[in-house]
Amino acid sequence: MTARPYDAETSRYGRAVTPSTWSRLWSANGPGYLFLVPWFIGFFGLTVGPIVYSFYLSFTNFDLLTPARWTGLDNYVRMFTADPKFSASMRVTLLFVLFSVPLKLAFALGVALLLNRGMKGLPIYRAIFYLPSLLGASVAIAVLWRRLFAGDGMVNQVLALIGIQGPSWISNPRTSLWTLVALAVWQFGSPMIIFLAGLRQIPQDLYEAASLDGASKWRIFWKVTLPLLTPVVFFNVIIQTIEGFKSFTPAFIISGGTGNPVNSTLFYTLYLYQEAFAFFRMGYASALAWVLLVIVAVFTGISFLTSRFWVHYDE
Amino acid sequence: MSFSLDRRKFLLGSTALVAAGSFSPAFAQDKRLRLTWWGGQARADRTFAVADLYKKANPGLDFDGEFNAFNDYWPKLGTQVAGGNAPDVLQMDYRYLVEYAKRGAIAPLDDFIGKALKLDDFDKDQLAGGTVDGKLYAISLGANSVAMMVDEAAFKEAGVPAPTNATSYDDYKAMAEAFNKANIRGGMKLLADGSGNEPALENWLRQRGKALYTADGKLGWEAADLTEWFKLWADLRAAGVCVSPEDQALDATAAIDTTMITLGKAATTFANSNQLIGFQAVNKNPLTMVSFPRAKAGSGGGHYRKPSQFWSVNPKSALLEDAVKFVSFFVNDVAAGKALGVERGIPCSKAVRDAISPDLDDQSKIALNFVSNLGDLLGALPPVPPAKAGEVSTQLTTKGQEVAFGSSSPEDAGAAFFKEATDILSRAS
Repeated sequence: MTARPYDAETSRYGRAVTPSTWSRLWSANGPGYLFLVPWFIGFFGLTVGPIVYSFYLSFTNFDLLTPARWTGLDNYVRMFTADPKFSASMRVTLLFVLFSVPLKLAFALGVALLLNRGMKGLPIYRAIFYLPSLLGASVAIAVLWRRLFAGDGMVNQVLALIGIQGPSWISNPRTSLWTLVALAVWQFGSPMIIFLAGLRQIPQDLYEAASLDGASKWRIFWKVTLPLLTPVVFFNVIIQTIEGFKSFTPAFIISGGTGNPVNSTLFYTLYLYQEAFAFFRMGYASALAWVLLVIVAVFTGISFLTSRFWVHYDE
Repeated sequence: MSFSLDRRKFLLGSTALVAAGSFSPAFAQDKRLRLTWWGGQARADRTFAVADLYKKANPGLDFDGEFNAFNDYWPKLGTQVAGGNAPDVLQMDYRYLVEYAKRGAIAPLDDFIGKALKLDDFDKDQLAGGTVDGKLYAISLGANSVAMMVDEAAFKEAGVPAPTNATSYDDYKAMAEAFNKANIRGGMKLLADGSGNEPALENWLRQRGKALYTADGKLGWEAADLTEWFKLWADLRAAGVCVSPEDQALDATAAIDTTMITLGKAATTFANSNQLIGFQAVNKNPLTMVSFPRAKAGSGGGHYRKPSQFWSVNPKSALLEDAVKFVSFFVNDVAAGKALGVERGIPCSKAVRDAISPDLDDQSKIALNFVSNLGDLLGALPPVPPAKAGEVSTQLTTKGQEVAFGSSSPEDAGAAFFKEATDILSRAS
């Protein structure tokens, strides 16, 4: 009878001296993780789970209605050897990214420079210029774009005033992609806001020193503003490139989900969507999604690798 | 009046609501049958009217209806089926029937015949149209045929006689000069560009003794046929008989609102006989219909009485029996038939057909007359198209555009499309 309290006493004593790993972890971060549980459930159940599953599906011929059958690398082999639509959609998407990202960033920087000159009512202008970005990915804007660039749309009505007979921009394979590039450039708001914040960070005394030395405005921009802004440019390039590759809604709405005329608006994501939900080749669509991931990773990687040659961090 | 609620009252109130909900008998017993179909507002109004009739006759059952444009309908339905939440009753198309039947996404209905499903005076050819591998999977909602919508007023304005069931592609070409000289309504053309239109191609192939698909699900034509088809249209395009490629591309999704006749670009458009009602709803000028153009003078057999669309039933539906009963009501009840008219095609039940024909409106009469009097244009019902026929049809549209915009010659496009279509069919699992 006397032994029990003694045992209890030692064990309590022993724990206090060398606490187990678990209890140490718990007392350090336990409550925090407990609060994170809902997020973990969402992250693993709704994000990681489907991602892993789609990787598995990319090696199958899953068609939504019947159980998946393992087909090995067939999907990937087909993609790179026997799928003209894959290369067509890749070409369209690369063209889109190559043109829309630099144009959008140049436009955003231009507007940010204008707004940075300390004008009255800056918050109002900033809000107005940011507005298209908020509306950007919406269906309504894509529908509006369709109307603007139709054969008898407003763009052609304005062109008619100066005697130019414009084509039906959206239904001509030579121009349809450019209407989408224009739409992307118009949504320059979020990089513009980031540029604006970056411009505010540049020390005013550098400008004063430069102008005392007699540097022209143009020279100041190239030698002071731009180098100091490169970290922000770098960030914007990466974000906008990824956004560009992921772009879907405008092409879907403007082409009625077809990617036509003549596959000229067949964005990679739109092709992926067609394969998955119009033609029920979920396995192939999953493979397409993984290839897109690799492509985006490669582009981001290139940006990072080259960044040390052109991005200047203030030491 | 101010309205404030403290937390305790709110909790009390919501508990009471939940309790009321779980004990309410209506909540527990109300069966809801989900319907889905493609089509415009005119079709939706008629479908809901029949649902109301059925509801009155069968208290305790209610309906949820969803409708979409044809091209948006299939991705959504496919996703619903895969997610296990497909509607109880779904509209099915001839092109997709095999695909859905073979995958067990729609229920065979043979066991219900004579019980929940009455088919005593149902047209035999329309039943055959809904049969896959000897089992009945789909109930035709009406027979229709392809037809050209015709804006007669446009022909009057241009001083050119309107086309008839005898008009051939060559005749259209001959009419074009006079029609274009009149230059009505900002350069309206005679024809929409049908080069990427699968029904137009099928009709033309059949007149030449070929078929889109054979009974064993293979292609019923060769590359040379398609080359000739693309050439025919290149010729019509060059002669200004049909609209420009840019205009035709505006019709991206084959919705009635964007067809060439609705946009005022052409005086005729390729369509289906039952769609006259839908077309008339968005067209100001009175429309009528004639056959698709003849391949050459006197060639026939291109048209057929096609099941315009079907009702199929979800095999996983908790209300399978109710779903089948509703389908039976939909095609057999005279009052339902009167509400539906011929908007989905000519009713397949003789009793319904006889009951509605005396008091049809003008457009419905035109449709009924057209389908009943096809004469030598009428050929046999082709076999049910193979799985992935829908994708082949989409690809034809893109191919037609390639030729129209000049990025491919008719020769190359014919061979390429043959290869692509073969590839698509061989990928069907």
